[in-house]
Amino acid sequence: MTPHEYTTTAARRNLIPPICVFVASAIFLPWVGAGPISLARVLHHQSPDYEILIQLRITRTLLALVAGGALSLAGALFQAMLRDALATPYTLGISAGASLGAVAVIAAGWQMVWGIPATWFGALAGAFAVFTLVLGGFSRRRKISAFSLLLTGIAVNSVCAACIIILGGFAGMSRTFSIARWLIGSVDSTSFASLGLLSAVVLILAVLIMSQARNWNLVAVGDQWAATRGVNVPALLRTGYLAGSVLVAGAIALTGPIGFVGLIVPHLVRSRISPDHRVLLPSVFLFGGALLAVCDAIGRIVLPPAEIPAGAVLALIGGPYLVWAIRQRRPSEEI
Amino acid sequence: MSILLEVANLQISYGRRIVLRSATLTAQSGEFLALVGVNGAGKSTLLDIIAGFRKPAAGSVAIAGRHQKDWNLRELSQRVSHLPQAVHADLPYTAEQLVAMGRYPHTDRWFESDEDHSFIREAMKRTHCWEYRHRNFGSLSGGERQRVLLAACLAQNASILLLDEPSTFLDVDQQLHCFTVLREEAKTGKLCIAVTHDLNLALTHCSRIIVLADGIVAHDLPASKAHEEDAWLQLFSSRLRMGTTPAGAPWIWYQ
Repeated sequence: MTPHEYTTTAARRNLIPPICVFVASAIFLPWVGAGPISLARVLHHQSPDYEILIQLRITRTLLALVAGGALSLAGALFQAMLRDALATPYTLGISAGASLGAVAVIAAGWQMVWGIPATWFGALAGAFAVFTLVLGGFSRRRKISAFSLLLTGIAVNSVCAACIIILGGFAGMSRTFSIARWLIGSVDSTSFASLGLLSAVVLILAVLIMSQARNWNLVAVGDQWAATRGVNVPALLRTGYLAGSVLVAGAIALTGPIGFVGLIVPHLVRSRISPDHRVLLPSVFLFGGALLAVCDAIGRIVLPPAEIPAGAVLALIGGPYLVWAIRQRRPSEEI
Repeated sequence: MSILLEVANLQISYGRRIVLRSATLTAQSGEFLALVGVNGAGKSTLLDIIAGFRKPAAGSVAIAGRHQKDWNLRELSQRVSHLPQAVHADLPYTAEQLVAMGRYPHTDRWFESDEDHSFIREAMKRTHCWEYRHRNFGSLSGGERQRVLLAACLAQNASILLLDEPSTFLDVDQQLHCFTVLREEAKTGKLCIAVTHDLNLALTHCSRIIVLADGIVAHDLPASKAHEEDAWLQLFSSRLRMGTTPAGAPWIWYQ
């Protein structure tokens, strides 16, 4: 931290590393895979290099960048709103609700609705069901302890997991396999139409959330603190919960339940760069996207021709690192 | 001197318990009011209502001659700042970042201007927390935190300062300094209202003593004349006695 951290110049300086990492990931990671791709063959539209790069690698890299950014941003948002570093869409059960909705759609055999993956609608419906049931109750007495929060999340996750198992039992062999694969959480190639739609939704919501960065700073301290500094707290929280839920549902509908990124990235950016949401939120989005894309690329090359799902790679790398990072911190820095 | 605050017949209950029955109060710019009363008398609730984040069942609040509801939230926050009794700042903001939040109501800029920085610096220096401005708020002692929060209120540069136990956690020297700073603020034309349990601090630094009891303003006394009657004192404890210092100022002691 420097005395000049609140200036536009300092903010730009803080944002340079995440922007560079994000852009570098977008440019270089599509070239990473089990087999080499010839640039000359791609430029001449020759098979299979052209199809592998354009239709498979680029779409899944972009999907990882957008979905990872969305999930990380949602994590930082929920942590600010609930003033709890453990609050993520996972701990609140929103991810579990979205997963249940998506699994229900897969079990029913729906694939596309109006040209959009049907899992989107299922995930959105599931996320909103949990949002209404759980957070609707909190909104009346929102001051909830971390302990209550974790218990609620465990309860919702357990109920949703049980429902997913039941649905899987009735879905038939092939659909059960699809459900199991989706639940692992991975970044697969997708159509440019789906990717474009997700990107548009994420971009709009990210701008909306980041535009309120100063207000998230205030809310993260306290409701009274924010209210006496000009914030309409109930309206802001409604917007935040709604935007966060749509971000999560939209992302995991295409990737499956990859949730760890929403915990680790905000935690690391907050402690290494800045807790100020004017810097934190864009940094979290950019680093989160890059991290998921890197994990996806690692998953493509470590055990060829098999692929390790990005969610598994993320947990294997990120989990130990998070534990190490927490142990390195002084007690006074605990969050 | 102009009337900055008019509170009329405020009523509020928590469940069946009536906290404020009919609280009425008027205060002018340049005054420093001590809001005193026993635990549960409704002192913090009254500040919350004036600050605008608790709605009374009945009654009205006017800020600078205009009904509270007629100010939008931002206008209100430019005129009223509030020091809460406690802040749960678990997220690791630095002391300076917290104080900077006091400037948010005054600007649409994404980051603070040079003018904002000068307000922040001056407020932190006045409350003796400038030297640890880069430290994590969560790592500070209770007294250090309180000084940071007071600085945030000062940086907000509002004409009405509502302070809920501003001297909590402070050592004796810092308590005196805190009330001296607030008295200086009042001298510049602001209205300061501080909830406190330290009656001597109130008598020696404030211009008026407002005693809340039974849901109403039971006593409203100029601090300089508070020693002329002690009925208000007995509301706190029968062991309290009123005396005067060698300089003739009122002083409370207990048997």
